[in-house]
Amino acid sequence: MDEPSNQNEFADNGEWKPSPIEVTHPEIVKPGDIRLFHDPPWRLRMTIEGDRSYLKIKIVRAAPLTQPDDYICFLDLKDEVICMVDRLEDLAQENHKIVHSELDQRYLTARVERVESIRNEFGVSYWLVDTDRGMREFVTKNVAENAQWIDEKRMMILDVDGNRFEFAGLDTFDKKSRGLIEEVL
Amino acid sequence: MDAFVEALPSEVESKLGKMVSDGEEVLMQVSTDLAQGLDYGEQWLVVTSRRLFLFPTPGIDDAIEASLEDIREVRLEELVGAGKIEIERRDGPPLCVPFSQSLAGKFAEVAEGIRQLSKGETLSLPTEVDRSRCPECGRLLPEKNGICAVCFKKWETFTRILSYMLTYRSKLALMIVLAVITAMLELIPPKITQYIIDDVLTPRTGYDLLFKLVAVLFGVRILMWGTGIAIRWLSQWLGHRSIQDVRTELYQQFQFLPLRFYDRRKVGSLISRMTNDSDRLEMFMVGAIPFIFSNILLFLGILVLLFMTNWELTLLVLLPVPPIIIAGRKIWNRMIRQWSRWGAKWSKLNAQLNESITGIRVVKAFNQEGREGDKFDEHNEAVREVSVDGERNWFVFFTITNFMMSFGAFFVWYFGGKQILNKEMTLGALIAFISYLWMMYQPLRWFGELYNFMLRAFAGAERIFEVIDTDAEKFGDDSAQPMPDVKGRVTFRNAQFGYDPGKPVLKGVDLDVQPGEMIGLVGKSGVGKSTLINLICRFYDPDRGSVEIDGVDMKEAKLEDLRSQIGMVQQEPFLFDGTVAENIAYGKPGAPFEDVVKAAMAAEAHEFIVRKQDGYDMKVGEKGGKLSGGEKQRISIARAILHDPRILILDEATSSLDTQTEKKIQLAISRLIEGRTTFAIAHRLSTLRSADRLVVMDDGKVAEIGTHEELIEKRGIFARLVETQQATTAIMGVGGGKDDPAAVVGK
Repeated sequence: MDEPSNQNEFADNGEWKPSPIEVTHPEIVKPGDIRLFHDPPWRLRMTIEGDRSYLKIKIVRAAPLTQPDDYICFLDLKDEVICMVDRLEDLAQENHKIVHSELDQRYLTARVERVESIRNEFGVSYWLVDTDRGMREFVTKNVAENAQWIDEKRMMILDVDGNRFEFAGLDTFDKKSRGLIEEVL
Repeated sequence: MDAFVEALPSEVESKLGKMVSDGEEVLMQVSTDLAQGLDYGEQWLVVTSRRLFLFPTPGIDDAIEASLEDIREVRLEELVGAGKIEIERRDGPPLCVPFSQSLAGKFAEVAEGIRQLSKGETLSLPTEVDRSRCPECGRLLPEKNGICAVCFKKWETFTRILSYMLTYRSKLALMIVLAVITAMLELIPPKITQYIIDDVLTPRTGYDLLFKLVAVLFGVRILMWGTGIAIRWLSQWLGHRSIQDVRTELYQQFQFLPLRFYDRRKVGSLISRMTNDSDRLEMFMVGAIPFIFSNILLFLGILVLLFMTNWELTLLVLLPVPPIIIAGRKIWNRMIRQWSRWGAKWSKLNAQLNESITGIRVVKAFNQEGREGDKFDEHNEAVREVSVDGERNWFVFFTITNFMMSFGAFFVWYFGGKQILNKEMTLGALIAFISYLWMMYQPLRWFGELYNFMLRAFAGAERIFEVIDTDAEKFGDDSAQPMPDVKGRVTFRNAQFGYDPGKPVLKGVDLDVQPGEMIGLVGKSGVGKSTLINLICRFYDPDRGSVEIDGVDMKEAKLEDLRSQIGMVQQEPFLFDGTVAENIAYGKPGAPFEDVVKAAMAAEAHEFIVRKQDGYDMKVGEKGGKLSGGEKQRISIARAILHDPRILILDEATSSLDTQTEKKIQLAISRLIEGRTTFAIAHRLSTLRSADRLVVMDDGKVAEIGTHEELIEKRGIFARLVETQQATTAIMGVGGGKDDPAAVVGK
């Protein structure tokens, strides 16, 4: 991250000219310098070795649907971005578990494994599904319009309350579930 | 507080009973829908006057307990697709209460409740939380706190709709009588046909009888024609008149509803009550109510006549009706799904079309015409596919239902024909029977459609009644304290307020403003400046604390008097579709033209107005669309000058204008504020130099108060804001020089 990117050029006087993003975000953090730890055990802290330390941080995904394991952002107490790590593996190995655990706590997307029933009334669909977090009922409106397709076999449905349900590998669903989904979509 | 005391499962209740000591009152007991491991599951949070318990179920032995005194901070954290209350204790790890988005509203209140109790305050929560599901059947409500389309009290709604027509009871009674007469008349022609066939045509005798019977037939038809016209006229008159009354009542109510009502509803949804919902109600009033009685009578009459004519045949005819209804319903449900799919595809196509045409400049600038075309093709193909599919299903639906309906006729011809051959029935009776049979389909079909029609109309009526039944602002309340001559002293005493429960915007504002003083409100976005203004206008009442005008709590003062002495100039002035003069005189209808001109002159608007072809008579267009931003702003200042308020609010009045226009408007404003208590919000800090005092807001509280110079010297939040603004202006290369008043920092 500290190397000049391809977008950088050298100005006429031969000096290195920063890219536009480096003008507005001049801080460069080497992923290897990041150390994540809990102190006390329930508070996540972050130290950028040899530079600064944050007493409480938040970890978020920059593109949670399409790049869930990369482009990880670290935010401070005021939700301001400290830095972003392009690839998770750039971080030291001991940080990986902490990042995964924090992300699992923050992103509550239930992965649907089976559709038990869908009842349609007045343009509203009442779903009963089996997910990796257990059985759940949820309600959607105009589901055909609101389903967000991430790729051909994976979609996300937001219910009327804002809960998220991911349908991954639609072709591997059982026949009944596929039939029910096809009927509403 | 019932909304926050839910019924506990028995095992949790018995456990709690053992833990709670004497004199310890349970204040909140609510269930979550996520377990500690974030799987779906139930936990129970119980808050008493002393302690807080969290019961994870099952395994309630692991209940977590914390003393309210031990709580240091309560945070509501928004996660993705869920949320959690984090209760930080003085010792030990924080307590986490996770919940899904479905319970976010409830737990926002619960968090606020725990915060209040942990600070030793009295628990003060709303008595109800927003409902998105019907408490009776669990169905999704059409909007938050709305009315369930299935469970609402249909009879009450029907009688209430009818009550609007009852205002014109003589016409209503006449219409019902005519409808009943028409229904009876309709039963006569088949019977006469029977007599003609059996008594005249079959024996081939009786010219006199034929003439009489045809004359009766003719007379009946004429009567039916006459009553039909009268019913149409009466139903139109009654329906339109009644719906006019409904609309008037609804509109009046819209004007006097508090702003809080509007906060929680979308403008489109409210306007649709005036348009779509009242339209549906009107259709029901005009097209259904008058015919309910006549169709019931007609159906019963036909049924009786059918049984009287031939009861065996009638039973045979009715035999295929249940399977027709069952099969029809199944196919119908499938059709409805098909239509909604078709609607969704069309809506996507429309959205794509709308987006690409609205954003055509961007499409062209980025050379993306081809890609937009491909996207359109994709949606277009989807519409074609679903349309063809729909048409095919529709065709099958029609063929099957028509075929099934013709079954009745087959039975009649076959079995009726047999009875004629066996001389058990006459030809005339068979023909009359067939006529009645076809006639019976009419009220049957009508009632089939009526249910859907009625549900839609009633749901619309309920949405209208919901607005009508909401408490309006007590604008002209005679019991309130009159304040005809406000001096202009405004005092905030620990005023706290939030638009949403659990999210306070003002966290305890104390401020005393003297009559005639100009206060500049400064602070970052979202710190509560506009909210403070909203409280001064009494668009909202503080949740805690008070706002006083001349020492009188605003809640006690007569709203009509207060509002008539508060004026406002907004960032985006709102002009109504009328003339320039009408808009200036909006707050003072009937003001003499000379006063309008004087106000325009003081607002530096006169010059540009007279340059327009129609001068003061120029139509400004919808929302003032024919005027520039600066012109609209000056008209709104003229409006405020003519209104002559004691308390004036300037909410970013000059922020969107160029420097030259701003100078003119500043001049106008300087005239406007003379002798009035003024609150001005401006992001461009230079515009607040003339303020007597600047009030710097931060995190919902007053952080600094003083003059411009005092605050600069203090080197606090205000000084930093000025510095940032100066730096930004310099970077943008549009100012920041010595002429920029924001440049005082360096002095």
